[in-house]
Amino acid sequence: MTWADTLLLLPELIAATGASILLIVPVLGGRARGHMAKWAMLALMAVTALAVIGSTYAVAGVQQTPTFRAMFAVDAFSVFFKLLFVVVIALVTLLSEDFLSEERYSTWEYYSLLAFALCGMMFMASGVSLITIYIGLELLALSSYILAGYYKNHEESTEAAMKYFILGTVSSAILLYGISLIYGVCGSMRLSTIAAALSTMLSNDALMFGIMLLAAGLCFKIAAVPFHVWTPDVYVGAPTPISAFLSTGSKAAAFAVFARVFYVAFPAFHLDWSNVLAAIAALSMIVGNLAAITQTNVKRMLAYSSISHAGYSLLGIIAMNEMGLRGILIYTMVYVFANLGIWATILMLRRHAYAGESVEDFRGLHKRAPFAAFSMVVFLLSLGGIPPTAGFIGKYFLFAAAVQAGFGWLAIVAVVMSAVSMFYYLRLVVAMYLEEGSGAETIYSPSLRFVTALSLTVTLVVGFIPELPIRQVIESSSHLVGRVVQR
Amino acid sequence: MLDKLWLIPLIPFAGFLLNGLFGKKIGNGLVTAVALAASGLTAMVSTLAVFQYLGAYPDHGRHLDRVYNWFTAGGIGTDVAFQLDPLSIVMLMVVTWVGFLIHLYSVGYMGEEDGYGRYFAYLNLFLSAMLILVLGSSYLFIFVGWEGVGLCSYLLIGFYYDRDYAAAAGKKAFIVNRIGDFGFLIAMFLMFNYAGTVDFAGVQSMAARGQLTPTVITAICLLLFLGACGKSAQIPLYIWLPDAMAGPTPVSALIHAATMVTAGVYMLVRSNLLYRMSPSAMMVVALIGGLTALFSATIAVAQNDIKKVLAYSTVSQLGFMFIGVGVGAFTSGIFHLVTHAFFKACLFLGAGSVIHAMGGEQDMRKMGGLRKKIPTTFWTFTVATIAISGFPPFAGFFSKDEILASAFATPYFPAVGKLVWLMGTVAAFFTAFYMFRLWYLTFTGDFRGTHEQEHHLHESPWTMTFPLQVLAVLSIIGGFIGLPQMLHTPVTNLLEHWMQPVIPEIEGIGKLIEIPVGTEATVALVSTLLAALAWYLARQRYRGRGLAADLATEQSHPGLVHTLENKYYVDEGYDATVVTPLRQLSIFSWKVIDGIIDGTLGLVGYTVAAIGDLLRFFQTGNVRNYALMLFGAVVILMWVFA
Amino acid sequence: MDALTASIPLLVFVVVGTIAVASSILVVAMRNPVNSALFLLLTFLCVAVLFVMEGAEFVGAVQVLVYAGGIMVLFLFVVMLINVRALPDDRILSPYWTGGAVVGAAVFVLLVALVRPGVYHEQNDNPLALRSTTVNARHRVVQPDGTTVRKRYTRQQVVGNSEAIGMALYRDYLVPFEVASLFLLVAMVGAILIGKRELGIDDEDVDPQYIVDRVAEEKEMKEAMSA
Repeated sequence: MTWADTLLLLPELIAATGASILLIVPVLGGRARGHMAKWAMLALMAVTALAVIGSTYAVAGVQQTPTFRAMFAVDAFSVFFKLLFVVVIALVTLLSEDFLSEERYSTWEYYSLLAFALCGMMFMASGVSLITIYIGLELLALSSYILAGYYKNHEESTEAAMKYFILGTVSSAILLYGISLIYGVCGSMRLSTIAAALSTMLSNDALMFGIMLLAAGLCFKIAAVPFHVWTPDVYVGAPTPISAFLSTGSKAAAFAVFARVFYVAFPAFHLDWSNVLAAIAALSMIVGNLAAITQTNVKRMLAYSSISHAGYSLLGIIAMNEMGLRGILIYTMVYVFANLGIWATILMLRRHAYAGESVEDFRGLHKRAPFAAFSMVVFLLSLGGIPPTAGFIGKYFLFAAAVQAGFGWLAIVAVVMSAVSMFYYLRLVVAMYLEEGSGAETIYSPSLRFVTALSLTVTLVVGFIPELPIRQVIESSSHLVGRVVQR
Repeated sequence: MLDKLWLIPLIPFAGFLLNGLFGKKIGNGLVTAVALAASGLTAMVSTLAVFQYLGAYPDHGRHLDRVYNWFTAGGIGTDVAFQLDPLSIVMLMVVTWVGFLIHLYSVGYMGEEDGYGRYFAYLNLFLSAMLILVLGSSYLFIFVGWEGVGLCSYLLIGFYYDRDYAAAAGKKAFIVNRIGDFGFLIAMFLMFNYAGTVDFAGVQSMAARGQLTPTVITAICLLLFLGACGKSAQIPLYIWLPDAMAGPTPVSALIHAATMVTAGVYMLVRSNLLYRMSPSAMMVVALIGGLTALFSATIAVAQNDIKKVLAYSTVSQLGFMFIGVGVGAFTSGIFHLVTHAFFKACLFLGAGSVIHAMGGEQDMRKMGGLRKKIPTTFWTFTVATIAISGFPPFAGFFSKDEILASAFATPYFPAVGKLVWLMGTVAAFFTAFYMFRLWYLTFTGDFRGTHEQEHHLHESPWTMTFPLQVLAVLSIIGGFIGLPQMLHTPVTNLLEHWMQPVIPEIEGIGKLIEIPVGTEATVALVSTLLAALAWYLARQRYRGRGLAADLATEQSHPGLVHTLENKYYVDEGYDATVVTPLRQLSIFSWKVIDGIIDGTLGLVGYTVAAIGDLLRFFQTGNVRNYALMLFGAVVILMWVFA
Repeated sequence: MDALTASIPLLVFVVVGTIAVASSILVVAMRNPVNSALFLLLTFLCVAVLFVMEGAEFVGAVQVLVYAGGIMVLFLFVVMLINVRALPDDRILSPYWTGGAVVGAAVFVLLVALVRPGVYHEQNDNPLALRSTTVNARHRVVQPDGTTVRKRYTRQQVVGNSEAIGMALYRDYLVPFEVASLFLLVAMVGAILIGKRELGIDDEDVDPQYIVDRVAEEKEMKEAMSA
């Protein structure tokens, strides 16, 4: 452990310090200047992003030996996700602006909690030991619980936070029990040590239970069936920007962990766990999509849609091959941007006097806000996996990976279910383009406009010229796959 | 031009952007100018490119214009590349020029509609996607166009959003197509897995070198055919096409008759090498094609909506094309695709002109005697009717008979080939019957509509009649590109020679069909006679009498007395023994079989909704319940796992 | 006699363990929060005993100091401050308790099935080895030319209980340990955010004068009550 090692922690340190500073500002008399908080937060995100990029130069190469007694590693994989997280948090910051100014809640604390959540996510991405991952995950979760209940005076928000908190605690207990069983069997929490121990081991119950409990805990975070029950209630109850955060950033972080843990630590027992995860993935896709069809509340529909997307992404983990890992990275990115764009549009309609949540509210949107409606169509097509949007590229990799790994039936379920998903995505398109307007007001602030434009750009760029992002993804993931091959 | 093939789809795309973004601001005049310029320019650029191709490739080889690398990293990608070869050129010419004519027609037809700019924006976008589909050089890249045309079709079907069923019909079309796309996607994954590429040439050369096992090839072929079934409306995925008639009529002509729905045929011909290596897959294609041709031709007889008749007719004609592809006569499939594009576009546009004249009325029972009122429409429609019915020397005759003769003579599965031929021949008989029924009901007899409608009757403006005239002429002469051997004309089988490089003769791989002259003559004679019979029956039954005969068969049982009382003793005899049973068969297949297939899909929908409700039942909102479910899930997981 | 001595730890474990489980059940079964809190205290103490029996004296001591001493006192303080006498006389068990019982039993059976020797990672049998840790040290080395240099080296060294924990927390698990401190900070912030009264959000009127008035009003009320 040297000073150079500490430098690797710089992004996390900056995020944590920044979060603490944001916390102090109102005490120093910044309360009145709530509108400054947004800019402070964005500046913090910019600095963090620079630090993340800087840390790649510090490691001078793709792969960095884990530091801090193999607790923490900066590698291309973690950098990819950290940058994604920073962007997500920055966009959520922009999404939150109107909400905060309207509801008159304490802005500085809100952003501070978001920054802490970011810090937890970054530890999740960089953790190479189960304990680091766990504690990072808890940091993220705790911040999310509080943020989900930020609508303190709204009953649904408090209820959502309460549900999320209780169920989240239960799930993290399950996760922790899994970790302790794995520790008991392998004698270590370091992913590489676990992998080494497992490679010489026969299958045994304690280990299998450990892996399963760990998977169950993570499935809760990514909202995969049957651990999804909290999702619709929380997405609907929580403040809308936080729902956006939960369905994008929080999930992306959980997928980073899922991918790293399973690709690095458990390849030896791939045959044992892949079928169980395949069942979970299939269930998520089926239940998520079918349940979404009957929803009339857009937030609830998106919740179910996000459940089904967890199912698609799981294909990448089940496949356990190069293509699968790339698929997860691409898909996570693609999904995050399409989703943020959609949430921005919902927020645009979300006003006091006016719910902005039911499908009817989208009626005739193409007349009131042509740009928003057009981008919404692109986002929905992306989620449905229609070329040449980004979603197609992501799904393409995931499905191809599943076919390659011999999970053809799962790929078939996935393709059929993404056909079904178009059914409810099109409902919104129909409402926006093929129905008469409801005359409801839409307020399209510059911040929301920016989020939409950025998400649209990413969705189209990844769709039309995916070569560059894919190269990046390959660079970011190849070292993890390398270990699979070595084994 | 050859190195700028990307311009061809880009021009209509630019038109889409202009009209889509500024359509409301710039006014209808400029919208028209932009739309026509975009479609006309792309047609001219295409033609120019074709001439340059002819100069540069005297052997008619494959010209490849690689634009950029879409994605190849990760090993499962492809280039964005356009190709020009005889097959692409045929499709390109049909799509751009028929497309242009229909754009022109739309100017007159849609002139009074709301959303004029939106309409042309979608239409241009469609053209762009369709051009990607026919010019793309790999399965993956044409999939972009494949989905794009589906999307535009969806938007255009739902164009009249004040009509409830339009949006539903659009959605149905899209979802059913997605089911077909699933086959396409999985087929591509198989190609990647086993051939390592999705480039047309790459896959075919891998197959030709024997790198793919027969099982894989059959699987790929069947999955591709599933995709084609969705897009080209074959059993059991045809159900979206009749509903798609909710869209504006020019859209039905362009998308649901001439171009998009033939994409499946195009793709299968593109993959002809794979199919020739898998006779079992070909047999499936031929049988499904035959069944669809027969089945939907019978349904068309019972329809009273002029567009519905044409819709079922399209499904049936697409079935003919698949017969051609399935029995190994790939060229004749494409031949029929071309002639069908001419006469069916002409029919649809003619129907549009009729509907326009009738002030939006589509029910044939309210038409009649329009012959004098709209003369141009009348004669063009007549030409197209004769063409589709298969009378020589009109276009439909040559292409249809080439298909039927090939089915009869196919070397791949002689017995099944005869069966398919039989189905096709009967379907051809029905085709002539329902077309002349349509013709007599619409154009002869007395006018049966309201007085107001009668007063309103008028011939359409020149923007509408000009495309009709062009297409009518093409319906007459279009067949000359594929004159059969037996006629001993100076140029025979022009199209077949032209297509030669695309359908190469390769040692050891499914040979091409040689049709004996005797067979060809016999088949042609049989179907011509049957068409004449059908015309005669339709004439006796419907000429000047409207639907009286139909109503009679529906209401009362045609007893002996009824037959005797009638002075057309013989005709009524025909009626009772041939036509009435046929009509009842038609009603049966429409109401029952169609109903069953549609109902099955409906049932799937209900089941889905029911499952959704069931799932919502679990969503109690009670946190203790949730925690219980969580733990329950863990227990199940561990139990299963241990 | 030997057999008896040998079985004493087992006996203590059984007795203390039973008390721990029983009192933790009572924690949730009691209607009076003070009783619940006291049973929680008992549970903590029993767990502390179990720690000591496993040779983790430091953790045992911390358990008593922090949990039993600090946190419990805080609990009781809060409970008494907000003056909750007893829970309303509702059903404590939800209607789903049968389902819960079944699932709970299933979890229990599954977990019991895991308690098998030979499955887990083999620790060194020597209890001292548990406490040995690698220590950085320096020593003088006389060079051939007569000068001495200090060289770093690491060695295994048996250390005390608390020292071993210190080594683990501040060296092996430094990163997670520090993140845990962030975690606690967030918990604190959350508690304050949820707990504090947000002035003026419910009310239409939010100008500062209103808040000043309201604070003054409350002050008066308090004075009146104390008088």
